[in-house]
Amino acid sequence: MEEKKIGVYVCHCGTNIAGTIDVEAVAEFAKTLGPVAVARDYKFMCSDPGQAMIKDDIRDHGLNRVVVAACSPRMHEPTFRRVCSDARLNPYLFEMANIREHCAWVHEDGGAATEKAKAIVNAAVRKVYLHEPLETREVPVNPNVLVVGGGIAGIQAALEIADSEHKVYLVEREPSIGGHMIQLDKTFPTLDCSACILTPKMSAAGSHPYIELMSYSEVAEVSGYVGNFKVKIRNKPRYVKVDKCTGCGECAKACPVEVPFEFELGLINRTAIYRPFPQAVPTAFVIDKRGYAPCRVACPAGVNAQGYVSLISRGKFKEALGVLRRTMPFAGVCGRVCTHPCELDCERATVDEPVAIRSLKRFMADYELRVGREKATPIEKTKEDKVAIVGSGPAGLACGYDLIKQGYPVTVFEALPQAGGLLRYGIPEYRLPQAVLDNEIKYIEELGVEIKTSTPVTDIGQLFAQGYRAIFLATGAGLSQKMGIPGEGIQGVIHALSFLKQVNSGVKVSLGERVAVIGGGNAAVDAARVALRLGAKEVAIVYRRSREEMPAIATEVLEAEREGVNIHFLATPVKALAQDDRLTAIECIRMELGEPDASGRRRPVPIKGSEFTIDVDNVILAIGQTVDKAALPKELTFTGWGTLSVDPVSLHTNIDGVFAGGDVVAGPADAIGAIAAGKEAAISIDRYIRGVDLSEGRPETLKRVEKVAKEGVQRKARAAMPSLGLKKREGSFAEVELGFDEKAAMEEAKRCLNCAVCSECLECVRLCEAEAIDQGMEEEIVEVEVGSIIVATGYDAFDPSVISQYGYGRYDNVISGLEFERMCNAAGPTGGDIMLKNGKQPSAVAILHCVGSRDANYHEYCSRVCCMYALKYSHLIKERTDADVYQMYMDMRCFGKGYEEFYKRLSEEGVNFIRGKVAKVTDRATSDEEKGKLIVVCEDTLLGRIARVPVDMVVLCTALEARADALAVARMFSLSLSADGFFLEKHPKLDPVATMTDGIFVVGCCQGPKDIPDTVAQASGAAARALAMISKGKVEVEAAIAVVDEEICSGCRICELLCTFNAISYNEDKKISVINEALCKGCGVCAAACPSAAITSKHFTAEQIMAEIEGVLV
Amino acid sequence: MKAVAPFKEAIDTVIEAGGDAFKLCYQCGVCSGSCPWNLVRTFLPRKLIRETQFGLVDLESDEIWRCVGCRTCVQRCPRGVELVDIMRAIRRIAVEWRAVPASLRTAMTSMGTVGNPWGEAREKRADWAKDLDVKTFTKGTELLLFPCCTPAYDPRARVMATSVVKILNAMGADFGILGVEESCCGESVRKAGDEALFQSLARDNITAFVENGVKKILTVSPHCYNSFKKEYPEFGLEFEVIHSTQYLAELIEQGRLKPTKELNKRVAYHDSCCLGRYNDIYDEPREVLKSIPGIELVELPDSREESLCCGGCAGRLWLETPKEERLSDIRIEQALEVGADVLALSCPYCFLNLEDSLLTMGKGDVLELKDVTQLVVEAIQE
Repeated sequence: MEEKKIGVYVCHCGTNIAGTIDVEAVAEFAKTLGPVAVARDYKFMCSDPGQAMIKDDIRDHGLNRVVVAACSPRMHEPTFRRVCSDARLNPYLFEMANIREHCAWVHEDGGAATEKAKAIVNAAVRKVYLHEPLETREVPVNPNVLVVGGGIAGIQAALEIADSEHKVYLVEREPSIGGHMIQLDKTFPTLDCSACILTPKMSAAGSHPYIELMSYSEVAEVSGYVGNFKVKIRNKPRYVKVDKCTGCGECAKACPVEVPFEFELGLINRTAIYRPFPQAVPTAFVIDKRGYAPCRVACPAGVNAQGYVSLISRGKFKEALGVLRRTMPFAGVCGRVCTHPCELDCERATVDEPVAIRSLKRFMADYELRVGREKATPIEKTKEDKVAIVGSGPAGLACGYDLIKQGYPVTVFEALPQAGGLLRYGIPEYRLPQAVLDNEIKYIEELGVEIKTSTPVTDIGQLFAQGYRAIFLATGAGLSQKMGIPGEGIQGVIHALSFLKQVNSGVKVSLGERVAVIGGGNAAVDAARVALRLGAKEVAIVYRRSREEMPAIATEVLEAEREGVNIHFLATPVKALAQDDRLTAIECIRMELGEPDASGRRRPVPIKGSEFTIDVDNVILAIGQTVDKAALPKELTFTGWGTLSVDPVSLHTNIDGVFAGGDVVAGPADAIGAIAAGKEAAISIDRYIRGVDLSEGRPETLKRVEKVAKEGVQRKARAAMPSLGLKKREGSFAEVELGFDEKAAMEEAKRCLNCAVCSECLECVRLCEAEAIDQGMEEEIVEVEVGSIIVATGYDAFDPSVISQYGYGRYDNVISGLEFERMCNAAGPTGGDIMLKNGKQPSAVAILHCVGSRDANYHEYCSRVCCMYALKYSHLIKERTDADVYQMYMDMRCFGKGYEEFYKRLSEEGVNFIRGKVAKVTDRATSDEEKGKLIVVCEDTLLGRIARVPVDMVVLCTALEARADALAVARMFSLSLSADGFFLEKHPKLDPVATMTDGIFVVGCCQGPKDIPDTVAQASGAAARALAMISKGKVEVEAAIAVVDEEICSGCRICELLCTFNAISYNEDKKISVINEALCKGCGVCAAACPSAAITSKHFTAEQIMAEIEGVLV
Repeated sequence: MKAVAPFKEAIDTVIEAGGDAFKLCYQCGVCSGSCPWNLVRTFLPRKLIRETQFGLVDLESDEIWRCVGCRTCVQRCPRGVELVDIMRAIRRIAVEWRAVPASLRTAMTSMGTVGNPWGEAREKRADWAKDLDVKTFTKGTELLLFPCCTPAYDPRARVMATSVVKILNAMGADFGILGVEESCCGESVRKAGDEALFQSLARDNITAFVENGVKKILTVSPHCYNSFKKEYPEFGLEFEVIHSTQYLAELIEQGRLKPTKELNKRVAYHDSCCLGRYNDIYDEPREVLKSIPGIELVELPDSREESLCCGGCAGRLWLETPKEERLSDIRIEQALEVGADVLALSCPYCFLNLEDSLLTMGKGDVLELKDVTQLVVEAIQE
């Protein structure tokens, strides 16, 4: 091994060290240490002669190790390492001993300090003895740059880099670049119009050949290291093609949905399709879509309820009906009889009551009938394969509707004389007039669906033989369930379904005076109310459970009771009693509810000895429906409940090409469920015919929108459905629910919260001449590779409502800084007029400084721009109104170029400056001149008097604060936050754009509040740093890093968990941890934690550190 | 014209007396703007702090005795300056220099000799409870009831203590009083500057607590609550302290106390400074009032953190305030403005001040003053 020759140099550092420590003595001491060949002291080692001394000694004495005892290595380690490498000595064979910050500067006792300095030098000598030469590595730098944030900071940085012909990815999460600066009216101190100076830069950035602008996009993931970052960017779907949109705005005119406009700070509303401001770059519009509305997700058939409700609110009834008809044709039918699962999940219910969606649907149908329905244009049958549907109930008709729209020839076979299934034969006229049903069936036929009534199908083989490619069985569950009680066959005992069918077919049914209906479903209630209308005097319903468990629609039950039906809860008949072969009474028994049964409802249990009798002339049994197995082909398989067994997703039966759905599969259910089944069958049949997998991607799950904004929504009662008076209903089958008129419908539709925002009514698509709208757009993840990243994400405005004594949010005319900007802006909500909320001009305005800034209760820092913008506001108020202006300030911070002059100008304009921070803003007047005003209370500290200043408007100079998601963004880019919440720079004075993560820079307000001139300067600075890296093409990576000994590593991965720089990864093949040399910062945590001592911290090995410790102690 | 230079000795004295918070003040004036005194006269706390910063406080002026320690200024101060501590420090110096207004001096002397500010005999301290079912606290008793000098001696405020006793007995709680062994908590005299007196009173009380094995204290007055909870730990001992409204709120939340009698009154609750701004107790008294059937709870214009001080804290109770300058008058007006039948209170000092105002304003026939506990007792009686 080569002989170690160490040179020790003790620096005086003027009197910094020499003033306390006897430096000559320390040098003398160093000479006594073994391998020390040379030991000197000198006034300033870092000076040129000092450096030359070291170089000469290395050459003349053959030194191969150097120790400089002086200041902190953070000051001059790089200096002396360079000296060594200049003298052809490896720079890592150098050690700095800190005898200034660690010794001379912290001790007063010279003698003790000198001894300590000797110990420090001893330690350094022992350590440097063990140093090994290390090589720094270089990594190449990718010349692309990522700029995150398209405000003035991001735009400036991007333009500077792009102008030097290097590629920039500019990512902005809003639909347009411009940031907060584009919201401003004028800028201080020049009073330049903000848009006028910014839009040329925006335009340049938008069209620059070297800038790839990704608007409406966010950074999703960052990995890699300086010079070599891999970034995943999420391009959010705009639903508008940027290259096609001309920005004409016709779409927004037609959009029926309004939500608060974020760019205008909620002062006005915007439509779901919008452009943030006229000069937006890119100029394209964007659609705000937040998922699927709960009503749409809840509907089994996927009807877009929000779509038609939003159009009704705007009076576009025809278009609304068009939205419904995209999914199914039964506006009038479902609008009357649907069980409305949509209303059960309606978000409006959390405010007051759900929107009356079902009745609005009905309204659309009635409206069309009133104005006259145009005959539907037959659809061209483009497909050759024909489809047969058995059963013309809602399932069958819905299936046919969807198939004809795809161009398939469809024939519906119906056994009964008229089409409609239970819609026609089960639901009474007063609920669903047959004329309404006729109209909608006619519509389906006009489109081209062939319906053959009075044509029962018994042999499906026959259908295949006739050339039908696929068959949909939708024959329903039309058989009445038998009760199984003695006397069920007696004359006078009727079954509900046959009863209703007869009545609806026009057959005269005679009933006695007293009728009892058994059951609790819709059929029972229908039967009871029909019985009343046929003249029965006493009608009762007997139901074995309680009101809460009744499956019938609640409003129907209430109407039945209003009409006079008497409901016996918790009772059931045990036998029918007859006299002369005619029914005279039923014997019933009372029930109580026990444990829940398979349906989840509590099982009714008879109470012994509680029998009672009801005298009746007729009993109508409505206790359930079953499938008529006998009417169906024997080859089919059935479930235990007697319904058809099918694949739950594709509805395929066991017979190839035969599908089934509706009540025949599900058992007795509702119409909308049947319609949903018909639609699923249509999808299956189309796929079957094309030979495509039946189940792929099914069932389709729609994501219900998560959070729905409800701020400021006033409670308003749901529109009441006008109904036929009770007297008029007697003996009449006239419709009971009368429907909304236009005004009521529009008012009710306006209650809709528009949960998903864009309702997909597709009006914009219809009206866009440029065909720029693509409602099916999806989010895209793009991966880019860059060498450096500039973070320019800007600031959020402080919300002053937390300062309750200022009354923001309580008083109309207390507004925040940005709100005032929008008011002054000619493109803003008031067209540039400064006015109170009642439209009048203010006669006095107070501007309050330091709202949320310089305040231990909110933010301790000063926001830097508020004094200046307060002056600017004063000027604008003076220019545009006759109002008196008061500024309540603590200090006037006018530090920049032209700023103090601006302050002088405003003093000349006659603004009243009151030095005193405002204690509160109140409307409680204590004198006549204060009545009707907002009174600003403060102490005029220069006068030493309390000031109560009556004004009309109060403008709060709100603080600039870090973005709400600053912590998440910091984590993504490995940045730190300073105590005030903004991103931490590398050094507050000497390096304000770099961060502790090499290659990532922070500029603009995200690093701390600042004005536009400083932001632009900082952006240029960061651009220069990035360009410097690109120009050099490579970056040096520190050699004092950690390394894993592969032989010893056991693969426990403890180090991986601990590394805060994500520098350690696990090699699956070798089953060991691997350290990325470029990411490792040499902090030593992994080396300390490794239980096997497999990791070495180069330049700080265990032996080296032990040597140091020995040196200090000995 | 004399040059104004900082009077270093005076500044050091203030710092020694515990008022070094003035160093942080940057003279913004929010304290002056917030101070309730400016509703009835002029008082600029900022100016007083400014004088302190330069050691120029006039110890003989009335101004140093104006602060009622309501803490509105401290709550809003953007530098976090503890103004009440500065006022206390200045008054400490005044007390040492014997520059104390006469009426306050009388109260302080009384406290020093008989342990209460009213000049009443110590032996009579437990008389308020002699006809009630109240035992003397001994080792092993669970809860110490500390009635406060005011309910103990003043017949007007007595109902505050007797109501608490009724609740405690209804709950079958194991409680007792120390009677003649009690001394004033001293909270107000400490704020009035007599630090030595406070220390001696505290030592007496703590000795009595420790000797009797006191662990948990239920106070009637928010001032005693603040003193025991926040200031007594300076002596190295901590006790569990709750205020009567907290105790009631706990009982009601646990379902152990259910007011059933309908009271049918429109009630406005006045937040006392010591419960509210000092200890953030705003919700418990309201929860208690809301649980009484038939009560319509309304908020006064300045409520919760903005509550208007009655003007009785920090020794002000014993200083003369001319009729036009009474803050409690304004509070009565506010209660009438919101149409209250009852103004609900939780502090004996508020009780005295507001009672006084109610009588002098002649509004006793339209507005009643009731302690929160008193209302609860009315709602549980048969």
